[in-house]
Amino acid sequence: MNRREWLKCVSALAMGAVAAPSLLAAFDAHAASQAPGFTPQFFTRPQVDLITAVVDIILPRSSTPGAVDAGVPSFIDQMFKAVYTPAEQERYQAALASFDRAGGKPFLQLDAAQRKALVTKLHGEAIAGKKGKNPAPAADFVLMTKKLAMMGFFLSQPGCTEVLQYAAVPGAYHADIPLSQAGNGKAWAVETVLTL
Amino acid sequence: MDKNTYDAIVVGTGVSGGWAAKELTEKGLKTLVLDRGPMVKHGDYPTAMKAPWELPYADQPTQEDIRRWPKHTRPSFYGITQSTKHWFVDDLDNPYEETKPFDWFRGYHVGGRSLMWGRQSYRLSDLDLEANGKEGVGVDWPIRYADLAPWYDYVEHFIGVSGSVEHLAQLPDGDFLPPMELNCVEKEFAGRLSDKFSRKLIIGRTANLSGPLKHDKSPQRATCQYRNLCMRGCPFGAYFSSNSSTLPSAERTGNMTIVPNSIVYEMIYDNAKGKATGVRVLDAETGKQTEYFAKVIFLCASTFGTTHILLNSTSSRFPNGFGNDSGELGHNVMDHLFGIGVSASVEGHEDRYYSGRRPNGFYIPRYRNVGSDKRSYLRGFGYQGSASRQNWSRLVDEPLLGDDLKRAAEEPGPWRLGMSGFGEMLPSHSNYVTLDHNHKDKYGLPVLNFNVAHGDNENRMKKDILDDAMEMMTAAGYRDVRSYITPANVGAAIHEMGTARMGRDPKTSVLNGWNQMHACNNVFITDGSFMASSACQNPSLTYMAMTARAAKYAVDELKRGNI
Repeated sequence: MNRREWLKCVSALAMGAVAAPSLLAAFDAHAASQAPGFTPQFFTRPQVDLITAVVDIILPRSSTPGAVDAGVPSFIDQMFKAVYTPAEQERYQAALASFDRAGGKPFLQLDAAQRKALVTKLHGEAIAGKKGKNPAPAADFVLMTKKLAMMGFFLSQPGCTEVLQYAAVPGAYHADIPLSQAGNGKAWAVETVLTL
Repeated sequence: MDKNTYDAIVVGTGVSGGWAAKELTEKGLKTLVLDRGPMVKHGDYPTAMKAPWELPYADQPTQEDIRRWPKHTRPSFYGITQSTKHWFVDDLDNPYEETKPFDWFRGYHVGGRSLMWGRQSYRLSDLDLEANGKEGVGVDWPIRYADLAPWYDYVEHFIGVSGSVEHLAQLPDGDFLPPMELNCVEKEFAGRLSDKFSRKLIIGRTANLSGPLKHDKSPQRATCQYRNLCMRGCPFGAYFSSNSSTLPSAERTGNMTIVPNSIVYEMIYDNAKGKATGVRVLDAETGKQTEYFAKVIFLCASTFGTTHILLNSTSSRFPNGFGNDSGELGHNVMDHLFGIGVSASVEGHEDRYYSGRRPNGFYIPRYRNVGSDKRSYLRGFGYQGSASRQNWSRLVDEPLLGDDLKRAAEEPGPWRLGMSGFGEMLPSHSNYVTLDHNHKDKYGLPVLNFNVAHGDNENRMKKDILDDAMEMMTAAGYRDVRSYITPANVGAAIHEMGTARMGRDPKTSVLNGWNQMHACNNVFITDGSFMASSACQNPSLTYMAMTARAAKYAVDELKRGNI
């Protein structure tokens, strides 16, 4: 079946499916929230500014878009509003407050080099800690934000298509080919979920 | 009454109901097809073409979703995601009781769970069908592989099953479409298992079209596009579902009347005739009650759906539930052992990759208690798994940030191999469901109460599933071999079966070898409830084969005037 036949086949069928209206409304709201200058639903504006500064250090714009370009701060805001439990919300809020005190003065009052140094230091502490145990709150904030930034970014369109590679309809499966012949040789985008 | 009278009634539209609808209508019977949920036409798959970035919340369930689906979001469950949650019933509106915990996945809509199924399609063999009789467990199956083989051929040909020919007595070959390929690590693992254990690792047999169908009866079905998003519904019709395959065939005959939102809650029995004359239905939206009548009734409402209808249909003739002279109705609940697995890191192969997303994995067919192998438990298990290169998530705990993190994520990670077991569960009278008359659903119907647990045989087998997998991956030379055990209750494999088993003796079974009720010969049951043992293979293909076989028999018996 070619694409034209396929479209004919699909459009011939009424789209009145189960729960479709509410489902599609959620997708529309999701699309709208990706726009720059979003209105936070969970965090305060100063908190969003801090989170934005941190995700920009974790996944910055380079020759390809970065986490901020991909709408990651809005993604994080949505995840805390709708997905995470009250305990996870509290953990992140407390960790954020602790992180904001960790640099001697509020994070956003540090200069760019100081910000990067603090995030790098706390990240190092977090991954040096014991596996399966949450790091101290300020370091925990950096590690949680890293996970959130990666999840938001590598499931975003720029993350999937410009940093990784994504094929919406591969059309064929090749089980064992040289890396250089697998599309552009980058890692394939796959849906992955991380827990906080 | 005339306008509500048909030749046949089919209750349910999942893998079994779809097949019953196709076979009965193609044989000329005016057939009423009922489903308790709303209509889903082929193509009505609202999320099928969504890219990852078009799905809210990284496709995870929200707190509101968890509130609506407290059972369907337990650790062993999957499916309550933004892309598939619309296929699963709301637990608040569809409650059940658990004297012992039971994981019950349900999707109420036309097509049922054929839309979300795992598509793995394996035949049972005489090793499976003879075991009960030889070992004195449950009741002997009244059929053997020779009875089933032509019907496996028939359904495989029609639905399209991709697989490899392997000449294994315990896993008979079929009429396959081309096998999908194993990747380089899976091939290496297969070689090492063969060398060190003389065990086979094969590509999974799956109801996805790896090539064109060998017939022209399903023009709406195209070949697999390797998106691996099957569970959302496939607009290409590339995997078997009732919606994409059997129901369109039934529709084309002009003999099918399909009425969604029809909850069958009771069978109608005529004492004088000694037959079922029809079913009573509640409209799921309006609560309106309707009676429908037919000469023959196929119950394909899923194992527990059918059991619920029968238990709820009491009369002077059947005080303990419809067709329940044996006392076995609702008993002998089985599922497969599930959630026990092992994964390991595989060195090398860094210059090899794959393209496309294969909707399938590898399969290690049962080798325990096969031939000269003897264990301290009965029966056996198979493994399903796959190997892939790790993605960006491996970098969370690496000391990488900024540009370094982005660059590292661009590279495919090291290979990792994982597999988990599917083990056979023995039938036992002490594993059962009942109606809980103290708890009614919003329609006023009593809910099911589950009283099912694994026994000693299952617990011994679970240990082997874990130990064998560890041993095989270690012997293969893989590193960082890690076991995982998902907190899972019975039901988690979504292979529930056995509550109206078939057998030779009406005193100990509900159905005969034609899926025909011993106590009422115009009622046929072809969903998982007929299974006399569970084997360890994914069971849906067997339900399809048995449905087609039963439909042929029912129509022949109608013509002969016997029912």
